[in-house]
Amino acid sequence: MSDIEQPAGELWGREGFREDPYVTAETLEEAGDAPAVILPLVAWLGLTEEIRNASNRKIGVLVAPGESIEPLLPLLDSIPVIALQFPAFNDGRSYSKAELIKNQHHFKGELRAVGDVLIDQVAYMLRTGFDTMKVNHAVTLNRLAGHNLHDVPGYYQPGRGSHTVSGTYSWRRVPGA
Amino acid sequence: MYRYDEFDHAFVSARVEQFKDQVERRLSGELTEEQFRPLRLMNGVYLQLHAYMLRVAVPYGTLSSRQMHKLAHIARHYDRGYGHFTTRQNIQYNWPALKDIPAVLDELASVEMHALQTSGNCIRNVTADHFAGAAADEVGDPRPYAEILRQWSSMHPEFSYLPRKFKIAVTGADRDRAAIQVHDIGLHLKKNEAGELGFAVYVGGGQGRTPMVAKKIRDFLPVEDLLTYTTAIVRVYNLSGRRDNKYKARIKILVHETGTEEITRQIEAEWQAIKETDLKLPQQDVDAIDTYFAPPNLVQRPEGWSGLAAARKADHAFSAWVDQNVTPHKNPDYGVVTISLKPIGGIPGDATDAQMDLVADIAEKFSYDEIRVSHEQNLVLPHVAIADLRIVYDLLLTDGLATANAGLITDIISCPGLDYCALATARSIPVAQRISERFGNPERQADIGELKLKISGCINACGHHHVGHIGILGVEKKGEELYQISLGGSGDEICTIGDITGRGFSSEEIVDAIETIVDRYLEIRTDKEETFLATYRRVGAAPFKDALYSEVANAA
Repeated sequence: MSDIEQPAGELWGREGFREDPYVTAETLEEAGDAPAVILPLVAWLGLTEEIRNASNRKIGVLVAPGESIEPLLPLLDSIPVIALQFPAFNDGRSYSKAELIKNQHHFKGELRAVGDVLIDQVAYMLRTGFDTMKVNHAVTLNRLAGHNLHDVPGYYQPGRGSHTVSGTYSWRRVPGA
Repeated sequence: MYRYDEFDHAFVSARVEQFKDQVERRLSGELTEEQFRPLRLMNGVYLQLHAYMLRVAVPYGTLSSRQMHKLAHIARHYDRGYGHFTTRQNIQYNWPALKDIPAVLDELASVEMHALQTSGNCIRNVTADHFAGAAADEVGDPRPYAEILRQWSSMHPEFSYLPRKFKIAVTGADRDRAAIQVHDIGLHLKKNEAGELGFAVYVGGGQGRTPMVAKKIRDFLPVEDLLTYTTAIVRVYNLSGRRDNKYKARIKILVHETGTEEITRQIEAEWQAIKETDLKLPQQDVDAIDTYFAPPNLVQRPEGWSGLAAARKADHAFSAWVDQNVTPHKNPDYGVVTISLKPIGGIPGDATDAQMDLVADIAEKFSYDEIRVSHEQNLVLPHVAIADLRIVYDLLLTDGLATANAGLITDIISCPGLDYCALATARSIPVAQRISERFGNPERQADIGELKLKISGCINACGHHHVGHIGILGVEKKGEELYQISLGGSGDEICTIGDITGRGFSSEEIVDAIETIVDRYLEIRTDKEETFLATYRRVGAAPFKDALYSEVANAA
């Protein structure tokens, strides 16, 4: 495996790496005049409706595993990006939140995974509804750069980025749009 | 039984290839042991006291002869000539070299087996009644549903990083032989008044350091809702189960702390939201899986009964084996044979390569190619003609597999304990061996009757001591092994957690203490029909405690 240098701070999606337009800040004031900001859940919920929907800046929200997504559900249309945190690779709560946000509540914006992501988890994340990930794990960054997702040829559950196959059981899927 | 199709083969092969790459990177030093750990655990590879250990999944305990021959082959070529059948209906190899494990996984894949999800905080091997598809008292075969759950839970993207491991058990008879009420989810296949199949759903049972009996949260769940409802349960658990303390992370604690009513409300609410999604099972898919488990075309063998009477009269040992190890089959010409892996003084659950080959050969000729692994660490031949019992017995006898003790006091469940396990705090196998020797006399144990004795070498309770009629828990106290006794536990449909008798016993004292309990039972039972458990439920712990602590005190 070649060691491909990947600047941290870039965002990965199915199309590869790209520059992250968002800055992460604790408060709106701290973000200065950045046009795209991600705020912690409590700070985001503290914003007025007017500021959230302002046309001159995008304000996304960062949710920790222990925080409930309930208060966001009625407001999904006004959120450009929801970033779900993975402070440790083995905390899997955000997978279920992704499922709820994308598939049960039809969030149209960008769903992002942030934090300690193992390469073996990337395929799972894409299937539960994540669009992008911002990863701090060196091995994962390298493998992503090499387009090696550790995926399998078939799935035993419905999920994003897969489709049904005729002639087999209803719960099975294969990768592809 | 279920057979892999191309989809399954491609899936398992891909996983084996990935693991090969990971092992190579570990062996070359690119991965540290710490980095390798989560990767190997996903493939059933543990690091034990002395070596790596490989745990191979035996889905719902069902094996063909070909698969059993392969397990024997692996024991012979990659291990030290034996394997250990576990209380999860799996098999463990204690001494494989890491460099060989990818080859072992290749061998397993060639017979449609794997070691996936035998470890880690995911949905583990789904277990089922080991008499499934054969037992006379069965309402429906639980294995098709266990297979659907096995497939659905394989590399589940949402449920591979749960707060803790997650175990599902399915039974198809009112008599619960799968201990469903001490599982995270227990499913009891039954019929409603309209004659349709569905499940009573139990949640939040478990053993470990906080044993709990599961709560029934639904009396009847239609089959078509199996995956949507299970998804709802696991999703609620994944979101709300505790992650701050490993010992409070199982769903039983969530159910206990949240309350059955509230957790049921949450599960039902989530279920309503996903009930009509892609996971709703079409009847044609259920039927297609069901077809794989169609009962074999059993040849009528009515001649068996007359021959059996004569054979039993001629050989007392054979007769005792039939009494103890043969259970009624749906077809009256047949019986379900339990092959005891508990020879007197032996290691519970261990089988040599030669024994595995022998069982495979017998199954091929006399049990329609089917074998089961029981959670009681025995093997089962599910379809043996009464007319063939004598020859099967004689064959089993040639390699020490005809011990007539199924369900008796020497049919001990024991975890590997401190002889192998990195988590253990005390030895359990040597205690099991000494108890087995003490009660090994066939007449004596037959007189004692049904008595389930279970031993764990640490609080994690892999030896199921909480649901033993007599349970033994080995702990370490001030550098000494100490054995606590509990009484009155039961893992069947009337599920109870055993009561601890009082202070523990040393390794030297423990066998005498068990004998004291058994002797007291024999004194106070109303008659031979009253089992140990029934007696305990009638009289409670007091007479046993009196016997135990006064006698030991007197002796000291």
